[in-house]
Amino acid sequence: MKKILIGAAVGAILAATSAIAGEVQLFHDKGFWSEQLQKVGAGSQAATGVKIVETPYATAEQYKAFIQASVASGQTPNLFTWWTGETFNELVSTGQIAPLDDLWKEMIESGDYGASAKDLFMVDGQPYAVPLVMARWVVLYNKPLFAELGISEPKSWAELMAAAETIKSAGHTPFLATVQEGWRGFIWFQELLLRLHPEAYNGLNDGSVAYDSDEVREVFQTWSDMYAKGWFSDARSTEEVNDYARGAGAMYLIGEWAYGLVTAAGVPKDDVGVFIMPNAVDGNASAVIVEGAPIVVSKAGIEDEDTMAALKYFVSVDGANVWGEASGNYIGNDAANAPNTVVSKVNSDMAAAGTGAYLRWWEAVPPDLQGELVAEMNRFMLDPTMETAEDVMATMQALNAEYWADQ
Amino acid sequence: MAPALLLVLGLLLAPVGYNVWLSFTKWKKFKGFGEYAGFANYEKMASNPFFAEALLNTAIWVVASIVFPIALGLGMAMFLRNMRGAELFKNIVFIPRILAPTAVGVLWFYVYAPAGLLNRGLSLVSGSQVEIGWLYQDNTVTPAIIATFVWQTAGLVMVLLLLGLAAIPRDPIEAARIDGASSWQIFRRITLPLLMPTLLMVTILSVLAGFTVFDLLWVMGVNYPGQRSLALAVFMYFEAFQKGSWAFGSAVAVIIGLVVLCVTWIQTLLQSRVDRMVR
Repeated sequence: MKKILIGAAVGAILAATSAIAGEVQLFHDKGFWSEQLQKVGAGSQAATGVKIVETPYATAEQYKAFIQASVASGQTPNLFTWWTGETFNELVSTGQIAPLDDLWKEMIESGDYGASAKDLFMVDGQPYAVPLVMARWVVLYNKPLFAELGISEPKSWAELMAAAETIKSAGHTPFLATVQEGWRGFIWFQELLLRLHPEAYNGLNDGSVAYDSDEVREVFQTWSDMYAKGWFSDARSTEEVNDYARGAGAMYLIGEWAYGLVTAAGVPKDDVGVFIMPNAVDGNASAVIVEGAPIVVSKAGIEDEDTMAALKYFVSVDGANVWGEASGNYIGNDAANAPNTVVSKVNSDMAAAGTGAYLRWWEAVPPDLQGELVAEMNRFMLDPTMETAEDVMATMQALNAEYWADQ
Repeated sequence: MAPALLLVLGLLLAPVGYNVWLSFTKWKKFKGFGEYAGFANYEKMASNPFFAEALLNTAIWVVASIVFPIALGLGMAMFLRNMRGAELFKNIVFIPRILAPTAVGVLWFYVYAPAGLLNRGLSLVSGSQVEIGWLYQDNTVTPAIIATFVWQTAGLVMVLLLLGLAAIPRDPIEAARIDGASSWQIFRRITLPLLMPTLLMVTILSVLAGFTVFDLLWVMGVNYPGQRSLALAVFMYFEAFQKGSWAFGSAVAVIIGLVVLCVTWIQTLLQSRVDRMVR
């Protein structure tokens, strides 16, 4: 009875928004990209005869509820976006998402995509999604200021520290970081952990490394020391992007997508430099944190010609170009034009260094812990002492231990 | 009668009943509800430190939402009661009430920002740079949001109490004046008892507002690390929609509903007693 009720409700929603022949709906929660996705939809129609109709949900919460109810009732949409990491594994485990081995084989054999591009979307050795976004988390920096102070791009931790010292001595703030909107607390935490203890990075998210371990303590100690030196901007600012544009921080650790935001805020395009944060331990393999947003196809969707035609267009060179030009997003198609200079610079740096990708903490952490743990990291940023850090670590580990005990 | 009953059953009682049932189930992502969990969600709630904190904060909210808006509203109502040309002031005080709470939250979020209007004002007055993070610190976040809540609700309380005051007969007051009673004695012995039914109604509204406050806390507390425990309604939203623990969130909703029902029932009893006293 319950399934019938849920099914009827979901069926009504899907029927009310169902696409007509020659149209494929792409459900998503990224309303800020509606206009850009419409351009891809039009491009798809022109190239394949199948129009992608983007169907946005206002909030992530509403969207998750809709997809979960759809899957629970066996009426999974043909094409929709999701998140990588643990919540992606949960979705795939329902058995309603189609593996995309054949499509990825085509994508890689054509030379458009590197073999590692599918890593973020693998579950039990099979790829279950294609990328909507592949954003590397890098350091955007103020090129004119670096030039003025005679600083070159840091290639090592020592050079990064020296650069921060020079910037601070010149009366500027080296790093920009805030708790704006309540989700940003993990950014420096994940980066410092990767740079100091890459071996603990994945362990933290599968429960094998504790949040009050020595590795994590060293992260907080390093972070706290950097705060004590006055290297960070005011964490309480509510205008992070504008702060960067105003010069409140010389280096901005953030996803590549922020390039569009800072240039829109008034920073001249040529003034934005980028580098991958160096490792704190010499000899460690080059690594970067990647945020991947997947597009998944249901098992019914993979049987539908229009759905697959639309999806193939999206990942093609033409589709990637339209999407990249419209949104500034990179999807891993190396034969397509880089959407901007930041993406092309990161691509070439990664190719030169053979850089490996690590899943962003936000997606890698179990979803049940995500909000509570990031709140604790924010708490540290607002009072960056080791005393607070100890309390934060204890709280995070208590939540972590409780979660894993239930698994 | 029948259509109204159907509406009540369909739109009110059915969702409430469904929510109660959900609170006794185990929610499995992508599989839905089904497995009976007994009181597991309620036991989990009892041992959750954030729930205890949210409960305490809600109690603070309820007390604050009774005391401050009513004290301020009553003070303003008494002051403006017979004043000529008070209409403009009444309108100004009432204006915040017609704004959406979310919009009010956004507005005051920027007033309280470290570089916001309040700190700038304090800097001017004190002559030194003030950068208090009102919405970032444990000891200031709740009072700051309560102040905003009072700013928005005091106007409505004032209007309701003015209506109550207007309904009080003039004769006993005039008689007391002739007998030489002071203004304070008249207020305490005549005005306040006769105003009690209105005050109780306002109190009920204030208690309900205090228990269910959400929008202000969600908007203004967005950067506060303890946001999830600012009140029960926020805790419920966080658990149900952000963490996806829908059954657990339903259990929290049941607790909020039960507490509100109990408080309202007690106040209804008091209301009938007061009505009898006044008669």
